[in-house]
Amino acid sequence: MPPPTFEAVREVLSQGRPDEAAAIIQRLDASAAAGILAALPFEQQQILFRLLPADFAAALVSHFPYYHEYVLLHSRPTREIRAIVDQLDPTERMRFLDELPEEAWQRLMDELAAAPAEAPEPAAVSPVIPAPAVEKIIEARQVQKSFQQPDGREIQVIAPLDLCVESDAIIALLGASGCGKSTLLRILAGLTTPSSGAVLWHGRALSECSPHVAIVFQSFALFPWLTVLENVEVPLLARGMPHYQRHRRALEALKSVGLKGFENAFPKELSGGMKQRVGFARALAVEPEVLFMDEPFSALDVLTAENLRGELMELWLKKQIPTKSIFLVTHNIEEAVLLADRVIVLGRNPARMRADFRIPITQPRDRKSAEFLLYVDYIYKVMTQPELELAPPARREQPARPPFQRLPHAKPGGMAGLLEFLNDRGGKEDLYHLADELLMEVDDLFPIVEEAELLGFAKSHEGDVEITPAGKTFAEADIATRKSLFREAALAHVLLMQQIRSALEKKSDGAIPLEFFRDVLDEHLPEEDVQRQIETVLNWGRYAEIFTYDSETDRLLLHQATSATDQSSAPLH
Amino acid sequence: MPIILAGLALFYGLLSFGRYWIGPVSTQAEIDLHPAALPKYALYSLLRIAIAYGFSLGFTLIYGYLAAYNRKAERFMIPLLDTLQSIPVLSFLPGVMISMVALFPTRQLGVELGCVLLIFTGQVWNMTFSFYSSLKNIPREMYEAAQVYQLSWWQRFRQLELPYAAIGLIWNSMMSVAGGWFFLMACEMFVLGNRDLRLPGLGSYLQTAANAGNTRAILAGLAIMIGVIVLIDRVVWRPVITWAEKFKFEQVEAAEAPRSHILDLLRQSRLLSLAAHKSVMPIREALDLHFARAHASTPTPGKRLASRWAARIVGVAALAGLAYAVVKMLAVAASVSWSDLHTILLGAGATFLRVEFVLALAALWTIPVGTVIGLHPRLSAIAQPIAQIAASVPATALFPIILLVLIRVGGGLGIGSIVLLLLGTQWYMLFNVIAGATAIPTDLKEVCDVYHLKRVERWRRLFLPAIFPYLITGFVTASGGAWNASIVAEYFHFRGQTISTVGLGAVISQATDSGNFRMLLMATMVMAIIVVTINRVVWRRLYALASTRFKLEA
Repeated sequence: MPPPTFEAVREVLSQGRPDEAAAIIQRLDASAAAGILAALPFEQQQILFRLLPADFAAALVSHFPYYHEYVLLHSRPTREIRAIVDQLDPTERMRFLDELPEEAWQRLMDELAAAPAEAPEPAAVSPVIPAPAVEKIIEARQVQKSFQQPDGREIQVIAPLDLCVESDAIIALLGASGCGKSTLLRILAGLTTPSSGAVLWHGRALSECSPHVAIVFQSFALFPWLTVLENVEVPLLARGMPHYQRHRRALEALKSVGLKGFENAFPKELSGGMKQRVGFARALAVEPEVLFMDEPFSALDVLTAENLRGELMELWLKKQIPTKSIFLVTHNIEEAVLLADRVIVLGRNPARMRADFRIPITQPRDRKSAEFLLYVDYIYKVMTQPELELAPPARREQPARPPFQRLPHAKPGGMAGLLEFLNDRGGKEDLYHLADELLMEVDDLFPIVEEAELLGFAKSHEGDVEITPAGKTFAEADIATRKSLFREAALAHVLLMQQIRSALEKKSDGAIPLEFFRDVLDEHLPEEDVQRQIETVLNWGRYAEIFTYDSETDRLLLHQATSATDQSSAPLH
Repeated sequence: MPIILAGLALFYGLLSFGRYWIGPVSTQAEIDLHPAALPKYALYSLLRIAIAYGFSLGFTLIYGYLAAYNRKAERFMIPLLDTLQSIPVLSFLPGVMISMVALFPTRQLGVELGCVLLIFTGQVWNMTFSFYSSLKNIPREMYEAAQVYQLSWWQRFRQLELPYAAIGLIWNSMMSVAGGWFFLMACEMFVLGNRDLRLPGLGSYLQTAANAGNTRAILAGLAIMIGVIVLIDRVVWRPVITWAEKFKFEQVEAAEAPRSHILDLLRQSRLLSLAAHKSVMPIREALDLHFARAHASTPTPGKRLASRWAARIVGVAALAGLAYAVVKMLAVAASVSWSDLHTILLGAGATFLRVEFVLALAALWTIPVGTVIGLHPRLSAIAQPIAQIAASVPATALFPIILLVLIRVGGGLGIGSIVLLLLGTQWYMLFNVIAGATAIPTDLKEVCDVYHLKRVERWRRLFLPAIFPYLITGFVTASGGAWNASIVAEYFHFRGQTISTVGLGAVISQATDSGNFRMLLMATMVMAIIVVTINRVVWRRLYALASTRFKLEA
C-alpha cells in the first residue's frame, strides 16, 4: 500500500474531517483499505467504519481477522450490522460466522433475530463511541528503540510505532515477556528516550516539559529504610513541598488506599499486597495525569492481586483518583480484559502493534460472562498467531534481517508434560483452558507450546493446541525412545542444532569451544538473549544426547566422543 | 551527661593535637615510657586513624560516585582501583615519608601527613570498591522510581544511594580501620637512616619499651592498645552496625537482629533527640527543599559545556602527569646497575619463598583448627571471641616484642621474619576457614553420616571443597598482608643497631636508609609488579573457580 495514501488519511483525520478520509479509503481496493484501517488507532477505525457504505464495509471483512470485524461491526447500529452481514459474499459470510466462537456467534444471531429493521439498539453492546472529543495526553509518533551491541550492530527492540494515550481510559499493553512492553512504558513515561521518533505531552516534546507521571512498579520499588509515610513523602519532597503540607498530602493518599494506621511501619513489616498499596499511595500522592503501572500485580499471590485490582477499579470508577488515565503493562490476558477500556497487543522481535481495540463491556466485569471469555479468547488468538500482523504498514528504514530461528526458552521436560497432558485430553485443547488448568501464566506456557510446535510435536491454531501424530508417539514412548525422538526432531527442525552437530562432526577431536556459537548468536541477539539461547540449546542438546558440554573447558563435545573411552560397553553409539 | 564529657574530652584532644602539629619537627623523638603518658599516646594514634579515615570516606564517596556514573571515567577508574588495591602499601612507606618530610621540612605536619597518607592508602580501596559496587547494584526499578519522581541529586543521594551502600560501607570501614592500625604502627616506628622520625603514639611507645626491655611498659602498652581497639568496637562499630540494620535491603524482617546498649542509650537520650530536632532536622529540611527547588528550576539536566571542558582538561592533565611520571621512572629504572638488579631479584626470590612458606604454614594449622571450630558451635562460641581479640592486635605492634623474645632465645631475623609474617597473616585464614566450615549445610553433613563416609573421605568430599572459596578469600588477603609485612619484618632498627635478612623488603628499607632513591624506586616497583602479577595469574583464577564450581548454592 502506498504510504502517501496512509499519510493523507491520517492528515485528514487529524484535521477532523473523517468524511474525507472515508472517501479516500473508498477509492482504494478492499485489501489496501483494510490495511490502512488496521493501522489507525482503534477509535478512528470505528469512526471511519461507521461512515463506510454497507457494501464496502462487507468487502473489507475478508481482509480482517474475524474478530476484528466482529468488534468493528458493533460500532454500528444493529440494523446496519444486519445490512453488512447480508451483503457479505456468501462464502465469506460462511467463513466469518464459522470462525466466530460459539458465544459470539450466538450473540450475533440473537441480535440479528431480535432486531428487525427499526428496533432500538441493544444497550449491552455496540457502544457508539463519541466523536474524538477525547483529549490526547501522550502521543508517541513513530517511536523506535534499538540497542547497540558491543560490536556496533544495532538490534531493534521496538519497531517504529504510533500510540496515543487518551484521557478517561485504562489502557492495557499486552505482550509476552521480553517483547519490549516495559521499554515502551518507559519511553512514554519519559524514563527512556526513544532511538528515533518523538513523544509528545499535550503536543509538546517531552524534554521541554516535566510531565506529571507516576509509576507503580512490579517490585514495588519502595525504600526499605524509610517508613511508609516517608516513602509516600519522597516524591512530594522532590517537588519542594514543605514539611507540613507534605505530611498532610501523604496521609490523605495513605488513607485512600486503606493504609491509615500504618504510617510508621517499615515496608519490610508489610505483606506484598500492603507494600503495593504503599506503591499506589506514593503514585497517587503526586496526582499524576497518567498513572503508569508496570505489571503491578505480578509479584502478588492470586487472591491478593484480585483484591487489589478490585480496589483499584473502585477508586477509578468512583473518580477518587486524581489521574486522567491509567496505562497498564501486563502479560496477564484476563487482567487486561478485566480492567482495560482499551487493549494494545504487542508482537515480538521487534515489538510492533498487533492489535489495538476497545473493550466495550461495562464495569464491573464478570470473569465468567460470555463476552469476557470472548475477548480473552480473541487475545489468545492474536498472541498465538504471528501471521495476524496488524502492524502499521511497512515503513521500515532498516532492511529486514535475515531470518533467524529463535528457540523458545523451555525445557524438554516441560514439553513432555504438556504432550502427555494433551494426549490424555484427546489431543486438542484450548490454550486458554490449558493455562487455566495447569495453573500456568501465559509467559510460562507459550514457550513450551512453541517448543512443541518447533519440533513438530504439536500444532497451534487460533488459540488451540493440537498434538501431532509424532507428538502422540512421543507422549506414549518410554524415556530412551523419547530421547531419540527428540534428537531426530531437534536435528530436523532446529537450525542451530544442525549447525552444532555438523560442526562437531567435522572436527577430528569432536570438540568445539562454545564461545564460537556464542559469537554466531551475538550477531542476531542482544546479550541476555544470547545467554538464554545458549542455555536452551545446551539443555536440548544434552537431553537429546547430541552433544555434551564441559563447563570447565567451555567446550561442546560430540556425544560419541565422550563414550569413546568405554567403546566396548557402548556398541549402540 | 557522659555524652557531654566525651565531647569536652574530644575538644581538648583536638586542641592539643593541633598545637603539636604546627610545632617544629622533632628529629629525636622522646618517648615517655611512664604508663601515665599512655592515654596521650593512645589519643594521638586514634586521631591519626580518625583523620585518615575521614579522608578515606571523602575519597570513597567522590571516586565511587564518579566511577559509577561516568561511563568514560569508569573504564579506567576501576582497573586503576583494582591495581592500586593489590599493591603492597607498606612498600611506599619509605618513599612517602621522605617526600612528606621534604615537603614540610620545618614542621611536624610533614611526618604526620605522611603517616595519614599511608594509612589512607592502606584503607581506602576496599571502601571505594564497596561503595562503587553498591551504587552499581541499586535495583533498576528503585532507580527509576527516583527518576520518575524527579528526585534532586541530593535527595537521591540521601534517600537512595547512601542508605543502599551503607551496610557495605560500614563493614568495609571496620575492616579498613582494623587494617589502618597495622600501618599506623609501622609508621609510628619509622626511622629514616640517622633521622628518628618516630611519631609519638602507641606504636612508638611499644617499640621504645621493647628496646628498653621494659616488660611492664610493654604489657601496659599492649593492654591499652587492646583496650582502645575493643572500646572502638563497642562504642563506635557495634552501635553503628545496629543502627545500620534498617538499611538492610530485605523484604522480610530478620528473626535475629544485633543489639547495642550504647545505641539504646543514645536513642533514649532526651537531650540528644532534642538537639537533633533543633539542629539536624531543620538543616536537613532546608537542604532537601533547597536542592529540590534548584532541581525543579532546571528541568533539562543537559551537561553544561563548561563542566565538560573542565573534565576534559583535568583528564588530559592527569594523563600528561602520568606519562611524565612513567617516563621519569623508566629513565631511573634504565640507569639501575646489574649488581643492583641482581640484589633486587635475589631479594624478590627470597621474599617470594618466605611468603609462600608462611602461607603454607598458616594453611597447615588454620585449616584443621578452623574447620573443627566451625563445625562445633559450642567450641566456636568460646574460640571466636578469643581469636578475634588476638587478631585485633596489629602484627606490626608486636614486631619489636617478638624480636626482643627471639633475640633473648638466640634466633635471628631469618626465623624472626617468618614468625612476624605468620603473625600478620594467619588470622585472615583462620577466620575465613571458620566462616566456611560454619556455612556447611547440615544436610550435607547428614549425607556423610548416612553413607558412613570415613574421615579421610569426609575431608576430601565435603569439608575441603566446602571451605575452598573461603580459603581462597583468606589466601588472597593473607598473601597481600604478607608482602606488606615483609617491608617491616625483614629489616629492623633495634636497640640502636640494624637487624636484617635477605629479602625484597630488606632491600627497600635499606635503600631508604642509605638514601639510594634509584634502588628504592626499582625495588618498590618490582614488589608491586610481583604482587599484582600473582594476584592476576593465581588468585583471580582460583577465585573464579571457587565462585563457580565450589559455590554452595542455597
